[in-house]
Amino acid sequence: MPAPARYLDTQVNFLRRLPQRPILVPDLPPVEPGEREDVRRLRESLEATVRSKVMSATELIRALGKQRRDELLPTTLEPLDALLGGGLPRGKVVELAGRRSAGRFSIVLAALAAATSAGEAAVLVDLGDHLDPQLAEANGVDLRRLLWIRPEKMKDAVHAVEMIAATGFQLVILDAGLHPIRGRRVAEAAWVRLARTAEAQGTAMLISTPYPMTGTASEIVLSAQRVRPKWLGSGKSPRILAGMSVDVAVTKHRHLKEGRGARLEFVTLEAATGPSPSAGLRMTPGVEAAAR
Amino acid sequence: MIRLACLLVPMFPLAARLRSEPELLSEALAIVEGSGNNAHVVAATRRARKKGIHAGLSLAQSRSIMPKLIARGRDGECERTAQEALLEVAETFSPRIEDGSEGIVFVDISGTERHFPSERDLAAAAIRACDGIGLPARCGIASSKLAARIAAELPQSPTIVPRGGEAEFLAPLPLLRLSPQLDTAATLQRWGLTSIGELAQLPESEVATRLGELGRELHYAARGIDPRPLIPRALPPDFREGMDLEWPLVALDPFLFIANAALDRLAKRLEIQGFACRRLEMTLTLEPDGFDARAIDLPAPTRDVKTMLTLIRLDLEKKAPGAPVTGFSFAAIPDRPRRAQLSLFGPTALSPEKLATTIARLISMLGEERVGMPQTVDGHLPDRYAIGRYDPPPPPDIAHAPRKSRGLVAARIFRPPVPIEVIRREEEFVSIKSEGDINGAVVLASGPWPVEEGWWRDHPHFREYWDVELEKGVYRMYQDEGWFIDARYE
Repeated sequence: MPAPARYLDTQVNFLRRLPQRPILVPDLPPVEPGEREDVRRLRESLEATVRSKVMSATELIRALGKQRRDELLPTTLEPLDALLGGGLPRGKVVELAGRRSAGRFSIVLAALAAATSAGEAAVLVDLGDHLDPQLAEANGVDLRRLLWIRPEKMKDAVHAVEMIAATGFQLVILDAGLHPIRGRRVAEAAWVRLARTAEAQGTAMLISTPYPMTGTASEIVLSAQRVRPKWLGSGKSPRILAGMSVDVAVTKHRHLKEGRGARLEFVTLEAATGPSPSAGLRMTPGVEAAAR
Repeated sequence: MIRLACLLVPMFPLAARLRSEPELLSEALAIVEGSGNNAHVVAATRRARKKGIHAGLSLAQSRSIMPKLIARGRDGECERTAQEALLEVAETFSPRIEDGSEGIVFVDISGTERHFPSERDLAAAAIRACDGIGLPARCGIASSKLAARIAAELPQSPTIVPRGGEAEFLAPLPLLRLSPQLDTAATLQRWGLTSIGELAQLPESEVATRLGELGRELHYAARGIDPRPLIPRALPPDFREGMDLEWPLVALDPFLFIANAALDRLAKRLEIQGFACRRLEMTLTLEPDGFDARAIDLPAPTRDVKTMLTLIRLDLEKKAPGAPVTGFSFAAIPDRPRRAQLSLFGPTALSPEKLATTIARLISMLGEERVGMPQTVDGHLPDRYAIGRYDPPPPPDIAHAPRKSRGLVAARIFRPPVPIEVIRREEEFVSIKSEGDINGAVVLASGPWPVEEGWWRDHPHFREYWDVELEKGVYRMYQDEGWFIDARYE
């Protein structure tokens, strides 16, 4: 049961503005007790029921860190989260491979939107310089929390991911762009190094590539495939692109069964908000998003 | 016993303004503070004062007395520079000075006896020096800051208070000279006290019992006791490192090797003082003579030597000095590193200092326009964007669930757009060809969606956009001066 922690709040955040509501301390995983003699004596003097509730600040920080590592970062695309066991695992590398129009960039934006809407700072290392800020904002990405890095070579992109993950960002996405990937293929050791950095920092790392390249370094490999776009209207009537279906399959998972798949449905802005009254003067999706 | 001189510029806001606009000296001028109905006079020239305008009057009242009154607002920049000039004058008499702000400077004049026959001569010289920079100052000399300040406030300047004679000097003066708080002043008035000496004669413990700690301090002041020491103005730190080279350097790498060591020393000095480098100024001494001076603005305050070295390398590669280098110096403009309170229960917050250093390194590696926060830009064409400085807001106190994604189809923008050849038959698209891998028969297409931008310009953009499905993907194409594909739905 979560317990109110008004006192802890006042002690820890005494320099900050007090929140309107009491902070609910989440259920924390057990950690090894610290070695401080005074804390040990205090615990011994308490009843067993109270004893388990007493925690030193060091133990609290360790427990919070452990809990954070065990958490998953949901993409809020339900079929994909179910496939991943709840979301992107923190401290692990997930690879998403798919060719043209396979929904990779839509998944990337959904993951960024989920993380930034929860207040996390996120990074997009955009090798092909493909991001449309208007569309990202329409998709729910909080642009203020997004660091956009646009390297020109794969080597620089991997280096940037390594540097930025070491800074403490909780979601780092590397989008390798189009086939063929710019710059030379990076050595597998670089991916292993990235996996270690992600593990050390508790960073959820998503590598979006046109073909699998992370090798043994990734925890999960997803394969995305376009099914068909959906159109509204037929014959000579005005036609509008309504959405796309994408099949995602798990081709590698270190803990769950492989071979499972799910279908993701993406819609265009017009389909999500209703068709424009004057289709002939419709603005492109990005423009419409900005206009709103 | 320490001797202190106090240089005081009466009606400092007015004096600072007249220093900048001396032609107003003979005019009826009032310096006002506040705006609208709250505007009130803080100082006025002699001509205005003769007409009855004094500090505290509202501007409207002043104008009703004197319609032609010239009113000027308080000028912070004028006052700052005037104060700086006053400090510079004080520094010519002694290196130990304290900035009393608002036209007041305390000078430790101990040890200046050999330079001036008497303290009165020193004070007269100081007043003359202040006049020289356009500030009419008064001077008081005493053994404590309080007595020196009160002596400087008196109209018959200079006023010299003999050593140990502070209590006698203060005794005949009105109590208001001690600037007591309003309620304390009212109490003292009710007691029938008018001069400082009368307060000093009361028993200290009785005053403290009735007026509290403030009363005790006031009683000390009335007896000429001021325990506050002079707090000398610290000189601004000069973070500069460099060296003269034994032989001229032509290649970049040997120079960077030596510069690395100098920057390392500089970073350590900055760290000791708790600073980081915001701007690095580099001066290269060239052979046979001449200098090459340049400044490098860092994206965020940092002490990371590798970042600074990379930026120097990029700067020198971009524009070489043009002659062998025989010496160099680096000057760091210091700034406070960014700090933030981290949260226990919210999302992980980033360390601002670590983030700043990483961003500086990324910028040095990739270029300024390739790292930052994506920004939307007003307009109608879809391929517009801007990139700004990355400065994320602090994370929320408590972690909350993410908002559900809208699941929108993303468009992968091609920068620059890919030129294509379009084969059409009776207004229907048949196929698309390009030099890359965007080729094939058109399965379905929708459009045109006209977009116009900049119609007021000589060359406005008018485009017709189409969504096309090929065998190998769904693309967005447009016709401008030719056909282009600018995005792929993905």
